[in-house]
Amino acid sequence: MSKEPGKTLLKMKVNGKAVEVMVNPTWTLLRVLREELRLTGTKKGCEQGDCGVCTVIMDGRTVNACLVLALQTESKEIETIEGLGTADQLHPLQKSFIKHGAVQCGFCTPGMLLSAKALLEKNADPTLEEIKRGISGNLCRCTGFVKIIKAIQNVHR
Amino acid sequence: MQRFQFYNPRSVEDALNFLAEKGERSKIIAGGTDLIPGLRLEEIRPDFVLNIPEINPFRGIKEMDHSFWIGPTTTFTEMVESNLLSRSFPALVQSAASVGGPQIRNRGTIGGNIANASPAADVLPALLAHGGELELQSKRNGKRIIPLAEAILSPYKTCFRSDEILTGIILKKLELGTRSAFEKLGRRKAMARARMNLTLLLRLNHREEVSELRIVPGAVMPVAKRMDRTERMLLGKKPEPLLIEAASKTLAEEMVEVTGARWSTEYKIPVLKNIFKRMMKQLLIV
Ligand SMILES: Cc1cc2nc3c(=O)[nH]c(=O)nc-3n(C[C@H](O)[C@H](O)[C@H](O)COP(=O)(O)OP(=O)(O)OC[C@H]3O[C@@H](n4cnc5c(N)ncnc54)[C@H](O)[C@@H]3O)c2cc1C
Ligand code: FES
Ligand code: FES
Repeated sequence: MSKEPGKTLLKMKVNGKAVEVMVNPTWTLLRVLREELRLTGTKKGCEQGDCGVCTVIMDGRTVNACLVLALQTESKEIETIEGLGTADQLHPLQKSFIKHGAVQCGFCTPGMLLSAKALLEKNADPTLEEIKRGISGNLCRCTGFVKIIKAIQNVHR
Repeated sequence: MQRFQFYNPRSVEDALNFLAEKGERSKIIAGGTDLIPGLRLEEIRPDFVLNIPEINPFRGIKEMDHSFWIGPTTTFTEMVESNLLSRSFPALVQSAASVGGPQIRNRGTIGGNIANASPAADVLPALLAHGGELELQSKRNGKRIIPLAEAILSPYKTCFRSDEILTGIILKKLELGTRSAFEKLGRRKAMARARMNLTLLLRLNHREEVSELRIVPGAVMPVAKRMDRTERMLLGKKPEPLLIEAASKTLAEEMVEVTGARWSTEYKIPVLKNIFKRMMKQLLIV
């Protein structure tokens, strides 16, 4: 802990790269990603854990970045949507989302993709029920989930 | 959020020393799923926030001779993934699996669920049905162990002192043949909080009479507790359908006594009765 009331140095890994950033103790991981590191693919929505648009993967598990204090991520590995694929080399899930029309306004998509990725890493062939449970922390106001579920089911087909 | 200082203790001792000095102006943070929304709304305004998830002795699940020990920062996901817990306390694991969506289960902890003492908690009432005990530690007084049933004083209020940390949850092993179940009722929407839940523990003797029964409804009372009048009605008797029917009425009455008459005018009474009957039936088939 720094004695001064100001900022503290935070060291973590984001998308495989070591990152050092000065943060205020009251900042959330979401704020650091979006405003300090300019990784704005992680979206800001309800900021109370309900919508899931801020979902990132921390040490292999999905979390709501709005519900983690930045300083709680010291030494942790964070994976954001920017680490999933690039414009010319999309992740299979991203391709499948496009193919199945699972993206409308796109606001929920980054978080949804990361929840889907975490799900498939633990369970390569999830049932419909397991997919629904896996993305139950991510709201989509546009698609009604059917196309998103199709996209996840058919990612390797 | 109001300004605070963040402290990441390196050990249990370090954390206890910190609270001994600054406990009254501090808040412990585990998963933060209850605390961070509270800080954001400035319902809570601590000067210091003490981060405990990195303290290794606070994590994990251990089997002892007659009991299990669950570390306070064990997450709901870790509880659900534990074979040890699934085998020994299926209803408790079902309660953990019912919490939030995956992101909340990955962060939210068993200790946070108890310490927050929300009337809408899911895991807290299930633990109560299992006769859970809490291990509390402070620099000044060392360790003390208290029954969970005595720890929750009123909604959002525990008997924990400001220099104390909940350092473990102790569950006695259930007697052989004890059956248990947990269900969360109402709308099947993953993120809907404050849905009523029910935990049942049941054991029959060799004459097929009820030798143990624990009934704890959750998210309906200011402070969850066992429904002992209904439990006593079935103890020592054969759980025939007519008796279960009568017990479901007593259960509803007992609930109204605790929560006030207004509760009975809601849809909750028939739902509670039906779920109780259905869960009893299921437990008796096993
Ligand atoms: C979107 C959403 C959905 C939710 N759904 C559910 C649900 O379905 N069911 C449910 O029961 N809950 C639910 N919750 C509430 C919350 O996730 C749980 O209560 C969780 O168990 C809190 O644990 P935590 O580790 O995040 O606690 P924190 O927020 O870190 O802490 C909560 C409180 O406990 C204190 N505390 C934590 N650990 C200790 C300790 N070891 N010793 C002393 N004090 C301690 C803290 O100081 C704080 O006052 C939900 C929350 C959100 C945001
Ligand atoms: S912004 Fe984090 S869950 Fe909605
Ligand atoms: S595509 Fe618009 S919220 Fe999901």
